[in-house]
Amino acid sequence: MKCAPFDYVRAGSVEEVVKVLGEADGDGKILAGGQSLVPVLALRMARPSVLVDVNRIPGLARIRPVDGAVEVGALTRHSRLVEQTHHPLLAEAARWIGHTAIRSRGTTGGSIAHADPSAELPVVAAGVDATVTIAGPSGERTVAAEELFLGALLTSLDDGDMIVRVRFPLPTRWGFAEFARRHGDFALVTAVVAEIAGSLRITLGGVAAVPQRARAAEQIVADGGSAKDAARATADEIDPTADLHGSAPFRRAIAGEMVRRALAQVGIE
Amino acid sequence: MSVDRADGPAAAPRATAPAPASAAEDESGSLGRNVRRKEDRRLVTGHGRFVTDLELPRMRHVAFLRSPYGHARITGVDATAARDAGHRVFTGRDFAHVVLRAQSALPSYIETDQPILAHEKVCFSGEPVAAVVAKDRYRAEDGLELVAVDYEALPPTVCAWQEPREPVHPEAPDNVLLQRTFDAGSVTDAFAAADLVVERELVTNRHAGNPMECRAGVALWDAADGKLTFWNGTQVPHIVRNMIAELMGLSEGKVRVVAPDVGGGFGVKAVLYPEDVALCLMAREMPGIPLKWVEDRAEHLLAAAHARDHRYLIKAGFAADGRLLALEADVTCNVGAYSVYPWTAGIEPLMAGGLLSGPYKLDNYRCTVRGVATNTAPAGPYRGVARPASVFAMETMFDDAAARLGIDAIEIRRRNVITPEDIPYKMPSRLVDDSGHYGECLDKALDALDHPAFRAEQQRRREAGENPIGIGVALYNELTGLGRAASAGPRMPFRTGHDACTVRVNPDGRVTVISGVTSQGQGLETTMAQIVADAIGVRYDDVDVRIGDTDEALWGFGAFSSRQAVIGGGAAHNTAVAVKEKLVKLAAELIEAAEADVRVVDGEVYVVGDPKAQISVAEVARVAYLESNRLPDGIDPGLDATTFFDPIRGAFAAGAQAAAVEVDRTTGELRILKYVCVEDAGRAMHPQIVDGQIAGSVAQGLGGALFEHLVYDDAGNLSTGTLLDYLMPTSAEVPDMVIGHVSHPAANPLGVRGVGEGGTLGPNAVLAGALRDALGIEVNALPISPASVWKELHP
Repeated sequence: MKCAPFDYVRAGSVEEVVKVLGEADGDGKILAGGQSLVPVLALRMARPSVLVDVNRIPGLARIRPVDGAVEVGALTRHSRLVEQTHHPLLAEAARWIGHTAIRSRGTTGGSIAHADPSAELPVVAAGVDATVTIAGPSGERTVAAEELFLGALLTSLDDGDMIVRVRFPLPTRWGFAEFARRHGDFALVTAVVAEIAGSLRITLGGVAAVPQRARAAEQIVADGGSAKDAARATADEIDPTADLHGSAPFRRAIAGEMVRRALAQVGIE
Repeated sequence: MSVDRADGPAAAPRATAPAPASAAEDESGSLGRNVRRKEDRRLVTGHGRFVTDLELPRMRHVAFLRSPYGHARITGVDATAARDAGHRVFTGRDFAHVVLRAQSALPSYIETDQPILAHEKVCFSGEPVAAVVAKDRYRAEDGLELVAVDYEALPPTVCAWQEPREPVHPEAPDNVLLQRTFDAGSVTDAFAAADLVVERELVTNRHAGNPMECRAGVALWDAADGKLTFWNGTQVPHIVRNMIAELMGLSEGKVRVVAPDVGGGFGVKAVLYPEDVALCLMAREMPGIPLKWVEDRAEHLLAAAHARDHRYLIKAGFAADGRLLALEADVTCNVGAYSVYPWTAGIEPLMAGGLLSGPYKLDNYRCTVRGVATNTAPAGPYRGVARPASVFAMETMFDDAAARLGIDAIEIRRRNVITPEDIPYKMPSRLVDDSGHYGECLDKALDALDHPAFRAEQQRRREAGENPIGIGVALYNELTGLGRAASAGPRMPFRTGHDACTVRVNPDGRVTVISGVTSQGQGLETTMAQIVADAIGVRYDDVDVRIGDTDEALWGFGAFSSRQAVIGGGAAHNTAVAVKEKLVKLAAELIEAAEADVRVVDGEVYVVGDPKAQISVAEVARVAYLESNRLPDGIDPGLDATTFFDPIRGAFAAGAQAAAVEVDRTTGELRILKYVCVEDAGRAMHPQIVDGQIAGSVAQGLGGALFEHLVYDDAGNLSTGTLLDYLMPTSAEVPDMVIGHVSHPAANPLGVRGVGEGGTLGPNAVLAGALRDALGIEVNALPISPASVWKELHP
């Protein structure tokens, strides 16, 4: 459980990161909080030729309220998200990430880039229609979170790209519910309810390879239906897979229940 | 979690001011008080000395190459590339002449060999095949990638109650390594007379021990002295020395095993593993170079001893009034690929069959137990050995029968439990129960739970349609401190009933204890010091304890079967008493008093009736070592003794656990509202340590009941290879608990009963019973997970 040899570069700027990643020709990895990368390195499931340490790059850990949203720098630790008060949904979601040690190291950019379908930040990003700003060889560009996530641990980021910040719109109403085997575990199901630009979005984590909108449930709510009906619709419209912790029918039922609980937080019973 | 005592706050630490001479001796002393633990200064300030911390000149690190197959023939091993890269590589052929062979005199037992590094075939995924030595662990693991092993896959068998696809060992074509039938009374007649027969198939979940510190060793061969030193994170240093010496053809005096601080053991470190032997054999090939191996968590889950993978086909006959008339069971234990040294494949099955009927009166009993080899990691001792499973099976019979007979689940237990009037009670497996205090434990547990209040709340919720609650109880007996007449282990070539202890009063009057006990966090240094301080009459702070080094301690079997307080403690007490006899004799001569009138308190010697100290222990000791001119005739120099102690029989520890549990109907989650454990620890020598043992073992039992589960797929791969998938309970999952005691002294020098394991015995049964009480759900397989409960609620 010790990693294979790699080169190490401590980058001083985003430009340097992009340059080193470019030179690594697809064989480089960004080291931020290391909470997902280091275990994968130790298991030798990832063998990058070079690690680019971004932890000393200045200016990447800012949390800034902007018009109707909060911009979160890529190096912002989860513990800072818990403490900040500009974006209450983000604070609540971050509380559910791992344990204290993990939250002290793990970063927003790292979590979004890792794209674990059971992690909290990707589902919140998709749930509030966040936009992700990416630095790459041809400069900065911005993509919607929902377009970033292509599959489990798979994003539309190119080899030379680095996430620099994420813009999380502020929902006017929100609810968050999660089910995990133990406190701090990856979620079996996360449900995020967020009212963005007047419409209520229901987004689920842990039930598919990417965060998934529960559109049938959203429609029921929009039509004035009950949370119970929305929960039932959620269970029907998702297609989760079975694993050690539960069968597909169990996950459907839990997803429905988490949607019901998140809806209750916005006053929909 | 937090722990409350059912009897209110524990005794406060004792001030160290010397007691007046007139004080009765039972008011003096440290036993029964929460004296500050001797090991805590180093353990809680980061100064513990674990094997991992050992750094020696020229040290090299070892990594093991492990089989990716559950079952395969090895057709070739090529280490050329690794050697070309500068690594020292050992493969199975290098040590083919050495095997571990666990022995038992039981007639049906089939002895099998366990290779040090597999060379003909691999029998479980994770079995060591080769070892690489390098400058550090990183490079050693780089080297593993350069060793090429060719495998020819064989069909693996992972379930012990399915037809074997291909025998694990040719000596046992049906994979059965041991089978035994317990038979008492007339089971057939009793079932014929029964008003109710309940019958169930129960499957329990496979566990890993998972101490915080995994296995670890450093081996060093001194060629000039022809001596091996092996620092080993083991619970059983003398057993390790004995077998390492035999396997390597060395005299025991030329093998030194040192167990320094050890970070938890729970039984899995009471096994001598092939990796241990490999490390020592490799060290002999590399004289003067210390070889270090520290197991990582992935290796631990893969290759350290597993446990509790059992199936119970169980049937019980009851009279209409709830009396248990007959019990019949067929118990299959998955013992994994090898019979672990020294415990053999018999450890779990024999314990299951010997104690299945637990604390209940039973005349008619037939139980066949078998240990079946499979292509999984070897199973071995783990805290509570088999009883968390067998108690679950037995208590399930009572919960089942109570519901069918319309008798309260607690009442049916009362009608069957062994009482103090029945003592000594000969169980149908012929073990003799010396306790009988189960009813008292149960009463106290139900009081602490506030049973009537929860019953009322249960009714209220039923009427209000809220999430239901259920109450579960379990009674159990824990056989502890086993002497030679009931020795632990399945008739192995040695009897583990005794330990030795050396007590030396040094020339300055302070005391050094060199004990054969070992500690993996249980505070044995403290306990031994308390015992010796009180037995001699010196201050606790003036006693130092050294443990874990076979070059120092004469003999100790180590930590298992909740034996050390009884046996190691008994040895310490008796030895200290022997030293005190000489101390009193010498002091009496020096102060010209009658021996019978001499009292020793807090390091001072008094004469009865005189409040003024006559001489100090230090001065007496000085005479014993330095002033032979003052020694009376017939008294030799020195003030020390070494003795052995064997309690001959064991001491049963009674226990009862009870809980109130809420079930979330929508998610299947259980929430423990209150958890109570009441045990008979006999005399509690250090109440905090006793409570810590109980709290820890209950927590471990709850982990097993709700979370922990090692799963193999059909190809023989471990699906739960990291702590992401093998779920351990954390402080967030362990509820607050209430711990209570009934303290009936056992018949041994200190009146103590073992307390290390009992807590693990209850939770499976308690939670399953609570679930049945809440919703009528029958638990047939463990662990109880939200998914499994949800499935029962949504059939």
